[in-house]
Amino acid sequence: MVAVGTAGRRGGASKWVHANLFSSRWNSSLTIATLLLGLAIAYSLGDFVFVSAEWESVEVNRRLLFLAIYPSGEEWRLWPPVMMFAVVAGLGYGLWSRAGIREYVIGGGAVAFVFFFLVEDNTAVLTAVMIAIAIATYLAGVRARDSRVDTLARRAVIGGGVAIVPLALLMLNLGDGVRTTAWGGVMLNLMLATIGIGIGFPLGVLLALGRSSSLKVISFACTGYIEFVRAGPLILWLAMARFVLPDFLPSVGGLDDVSLVVRAMMVMAGFSAAYIAEVVRGGLQTIPRGQHEAADAIGLSAFQSTWFIVLPQALRSVIPALVNRFVSLWKDTSLVVVLGFVDLLGAARAIPAQPDFVGRQAEALLFAALIFWSVSFTMSRLSARIERQLGVGVR
Amino acid sequence: MAAESARGSRFLRSRRSRSLAIQAGFSLLLLLLLWYVVDRASQLELGFDFLNGPAGFAISHTWLVEFDSSDSRIAAYLVAVTNTLRLILVGIVLATVIGVLAGVARLSDNWLISRIATVYVEIVRNTPLLVQIVFWYTAIFLKLPRIEDERSLFGIAYLSNRSLALPWPEPRGDFFLLWVIAVAIALVPAYLVRRRRARREAETGQTTRPNLYAVAVFAGVALVAYLALGLPVEIDTPTLVRQEFTQSYVGGLSITPEFAAMLFALVAYTGSFIAEIVRGSIQALPRGQGEAAMAIGLTGYQRITLVILPQALRSMIPSLTNEYLNLTKNSSLAAAIAYADLFQISEIIINKAGHAVVMFMVVIATYQLMSFAISAVMSYINRRVQLVGS
Repeated sequence: MVAVGTAGRRGGASKWVHANLFSSRWNSSLTIATLLLGLAIAYSLGDFVFVSAEWESVEVNRRLLFLAIYPSGEEWRLWPPVMMFAVVAGLGYGLWSRAGIREYVIGGGAVAFVFFFLVEDNTAVLTAVMIAIAIATYLAGVRARDSRVDTLARRAVIGGGVAIVPLALLMLNLGDGVRTTAWGGVMLNLMLATIGIGIGFPLGVLLALGRSSSLKVISFACTGYIEFVRAGPLILWLAMARFVLPDFLPSVGGLDDVSLVVRAMMVMAGFSAAYIAEVVRGGLQTIPRGQHEAADAIGLSAFQSTWFIVLPQALRSVIPALVNRFVSLWKDTSLVVVLGFVDLLGAARAIPAQPDFVGRQAEALLFAALIFWSVSFTMSRLSARIERQLGVGVR
Repeated sequence: MAAESARGSRFLRSRRSRSLAIQAGFSLLLLLLLWYVVDRASQLELGFDFLNGPAGFAISHTWLVEFDSSDSRIAAYLVAVTNTLRLILVGIVLATVIGVLAGVARLSDNWLISRIATVYVEIVRNTPLLVQIVFWYTAIFLKLPRIEDERSLFGIAYLSNRSLALPWPEPRGDFFLLWVIAVAIALVPAYLVRRRRARREAETGQTTRPNLYAVAVFAGVALVAYLALGLPVEIDTPTLVRQEFTQSYVGGLSITPEFAAMLFALVAYTGSFIAEIVRGSIQALPRGQGEAAMAIGLTGYQRITLVILPQALRSMIPSLTNEYLNLTKNSSLAAAIAYADLFQISEIIINKAGHAVVMFMVVIATYQLMSFAISAVMSYINRRVQLVGS
């Protein structure tokens, strides 16, 4: 094996090409075949993206894609949680991780994309404020790292992250409020995903603890719930929310007509709880018995030993798997189109029905895919990074 | 008095009695919930009688089973089950092939191949399956030329937005069954040859290519039988038939755009997850395995098929099973593009006849049955590939 770096600059490049693309006859033919195929695909894709696509269909429908049927004039309600997110994300990133050159390039590209393509008027100013807040808090986070306020800042980030959903709900219900039936577009996906996580995660931890409990009745009930939920696909449970749940929800206290959006949220949370429970249970099983026994020996109660000893260790070991569950939940929010909601995918499907853009399916769908993808990809990268960091500690 | 209260508090504090109390309380809550659900359910119509009623709707996708709108709802449900099974079975096979190829490709020495595999996995895995399904359906398969345009691929296949018509083997003459039997029998000599050569390879160390010879023997017997029985199978190519107002394909295999979109999306999506599993399992092997295989002079192909994959398979199978189960459940997304799968047909039945609770329970039971079948097959395979005595 020839080390690539040893040769001179020019020789290095040709050596690299030889070693990585043309090391054998088989490899060379494979390279050439793939190159031809890849070029053909890249050409037709480039031709579509830069020549034949009518991106106007997306540009005109930005509001539809992001907010859909959300009433205009009520956008101010959404900005406080968005700003809060900017603070949490910026501060959190500064505290836990440091951006390399690559992150700067990607971040700059994303900002440029958002500005050139997505925002205008007032939104542009507010988005600029949001980005400024994110950058400022990132810098503050880097400064706060390992300083006196480190722990305090980390707690603030976690607390702020937890508070985003309640804040959003509060803002949406302030005054006259916006009915849940008026939620739509990317906003609906975000709300479904965050509420699904916010309720599903604690519920999942409880279910996992219940399933691995020594109390037979509780363990049996939790196992039954988890396995029953996992037996059916999510789309089926969502259909249940539509057809079956109204017959079973209590009709006291004006809860008569719980809106379909809320029912869908309940289903999302209950569904992801069952899957999160299995992930957490995997973490619980990695805790050696000695930990429980030691906690007993120093006189901790059952609650104390679970809360202070077992759970922190168990959750820490499954953070990557949990993040992957969140990615799945985010992708699964697109399933609400089967309930007739106009979420991001629903909006993208509606665009080709407009007279101006008949037959322009690909543009809107690719745009929707890009939005879904960028969130999922960021989160799965995060999960991989955490996994590496944890791995260093474990070995 | 004092002694008695001490005993009482000890009773309260003892672990056993407390756990009993908690469980009793929990059971009570559970029973209350159950009572509530049963009370609510008793106001609904339960029972399976509605399934005997006439369906009253047509199904545009049928496979193996014929269906007419005057048939019963059970018949409609069975058509839906066969449609779902078709999707799952073809999907699992193709997704495994794509996944293994992409997983191995990600670890390839060839920079270009590994990059392309990485891009495929990272794009497809992080995009919602439903978006992909809708994309394949509305932006690709429905955009194919109309059937009237008569666009054919080399004159043997047609691609149109009505269906993909592909050449397909069709039985011909009376000897087809005999030929199938002959082919089945051909497995025996192939197996014997493979076993003998594999044993010789294990004993002497020379390369005997047992798989190659086994395939050759099998193909030879099948071919001789094929010629001897007077070509009992022919490749049927589709032709476009024009009637006054309609056109349709006759012969060959017609695949509806709905099925094609579901299959492409499911295979690409599940394949990207399987690729990650394959890569993870291979990377989990000690590096020495690959290096030792190279040191004893195995070729790249031999290294992967004889040393790497058989060992990686062991750690792969549980996750692979999981992916197959996911594919099974994900096939229900077919409803979004009106492919007549289990879920879509049951939704139609619910819309026509009600009985949502019963219908959904039947659907869950069906999915569970399929999952059991897949798990059973996979755990059989798992037992076969595990190390003996471990």
